[in-house]
Amino acid sequence: MFEHVTFAHANRTLNVFYNGIDWNLWLTSIIEFSEVTVCYNDIPALDGVNVDIGGGAIGLLGPNGAGKSTLIKTILGFNRANKGRVKIFGLEMPARSVEIRHRLGYMPECEVSSPKVSAVAFLSYCGRIFGISRVDALERAHEVLNYVNLGDSRYRNMETYSTGMLQRVKLAQAILHDPKLLLLDEPTNGLDPDGRLEILDLVRDIAARPDVTVVVSSHLLPDVQHVCEQVIMIDKGKVVHAGSIEELTAPRLEYCEVRLRDSAQPFVDAVREAGCECVRLHPLNTWLVRLPHENGAQLLFRIARDCGTQIRHFQPSRHSLEEAFLQVMEKE
Amino acid sequence: MPIYTKTYRRYDGQPRHHFRWLVVIEQEMKTLVKFRIFKLLVLLAALHIILRLLQIVAYDVLAQDPNNPLQVIFANLDIARIGPDTFFSFLYLQTSILFIILLYSGAGMICNDFKNNLMEVYFSKPLTWADYSFGKILTLVLLGLSITALPGVILVGLHNLLLPSMDTLSASWWWPFSIIGYSLVIIIPITLAVLACSSLLPSQNYAAITIIMALVANSSLGVLFAGMLRQRDYMAISFPLSIRRVGETLFGDHRILFSLSWYWCFLYISVVCLISLLIILRKVRRAEIAS
Repeated sequence: MFEHVTFAHANRTLNVFYNGIDWNLWLTSIIEFSEVTVCYNDIPALDGVNVDIGGGAIGLLGPNGAGKSTLIKTILGFNRANKGRVKIFGLEMPARSVEIRHRLGYMPECEVSSPKVSAVAFLSYCGRIFGISRVDALERAHEVLNYVNLGDSRYRNMETYSTGMLQRVKLAQAILHDPKLLLLDEPTNGLDPDGRLEILDLVRDIAARPDVTVVVSSHLLPDVQHVCEQVIMIDKGKVVHAGSIEELTAPRLEYCEVRLRDSAQPFVDAVREAGCECVRLHPLNTWLVRLPHENGAQLLFRIARDCGTQIRHFQPSRHSLEEAFLQVMEKE
Repeated sequence: MPIYTKTYRRYDGQPRHHFRWLVVIEQEMKTLVKFRIFKLLVLLAALHIILRLLQIVAYDVLAQDPNNPLQVIFANLDIARIGPDTFFSFLYLQTSILFIILLYSGAGMICNDFKNNLMEVYFSKPLTWADYSFGKILTLVLLGLSITALPGVILVGLHNLLLPSMDTLSASWWWPFSIIGYSLVIIIPITLAVLACSSLLPSQNYAAITIIMALVANSSLGVLFAGMLRQRDYMAISFPLSIRRVGETLFGDHRILFSLSWYWCFLYISVVCLISLLIILRKVRRAEIAS
């Protein structure tokens, strides 16, 4: 039940006390880029980027060298904008970078390790940097390492860790202080399939919180699709598309997937004769049919009846995120 | 049964916003005391302190007691006499072990963070390049002071306690200032030079080798020039001898190696410190603000 709701006008936040938890909701854009240009030696890595991220889980997609990491590093304040304005949580960057970084969690792409200390000691140190007391930092370190499934190896020196374990430590240090904005740069790098799914589930779990915004930069499109609701596609330093994954992968009315009760060959032949394209999909008894017009579904059912078979599965086909991504990139 | 259930709780504590450099110092110290070699080096430094403690006890207790059979020996033994030169020689002898400790502790301090990509992690948190640099520098300075100035000042206090008189007090009131001053003159340049090498070079071995090479080359050059040009003032090129020259002035020692004013030596030391500091700050700042 809602116990109380307060609106703080100054920092534009809405505090909702719900289920015994104080959810601090932001009413302003979390990340706001206005015409931001970031250059490395006069070569623009970001070129007049406009981004407005309100909340939820957002995927950053783009080919290598597109500017994804530069965008993340600009949010962190590592790169300063040559032109334009960056605001995070409504606070101006870089003037209030320390204040902003208090609410940020960052998981870098590269391998991070503090070889001579244990994961617990490393996380405890990270917590202390945030200003968390010694006791709280240690407790929090254990809790977060448990959350990322690091088990008893948390007491071992980090030099003995595998890539997967280091990846978990990286995630743990990013979420240790309960950030409001989590920036994940290639979070599943070097993980085996099980570990990858586990990490993605954790990220999705974090992103499901109402007051947490997660930005995932990855070149693995299924990872982004698994975690995010929105995507921002970047190419050559420019935002080429921003929108929901749902929109991008919306059903295409002229394409449909069909599965039949009996042998499909007479049906497929008849459909092809009627001028439709027909391609076999995986699983092998499923066929992708391109209809002559948007209302061509009736035609398929008629052909099936004429062939003496039944359509057991029929659904408009969706674009995969990969197809959508390639389409957007080709357009550009 | 696990102590912690698999949850991710909200953090509802109130974080502290000041003195993050203190956290850096605490962490560095914690990491250093884990190493056996470090403990051994500190033990070696402590042995020298114990020897000086015995010297003070011997002079202040045994040499002053006419009924003690050892009184004759200690009263006439110049080396056992307690004066400003006792503390000057204590610090001068302690310099070698101090150099090794600071080199061992500091050579990997910054380069290892670069090598292990920890800079990105640290600076994504509310830690600034100034906090980081200050923390690292202060770790080594405090470490150095703990084996030079701190025992030195305690030994002066002990000397006054064991031989309580106005004469002792009037003779020794300025010793702690000289001890602290000379300790800082030794520690700060070593600290900054070691950290500058650590921030410039890719590994702690390279940093340590570079520092030792620079020191050997610089000392040899000083002595070589002095010998070739038959002018002892050229010895000031040697960094350790310049530091010694400032120490001689601070303790009023008359065994002066060369006549060049201590101002020049101090200026030389200051310039080296300033260059090293600029290197550290520039490298660390670039890790936080890349462009």
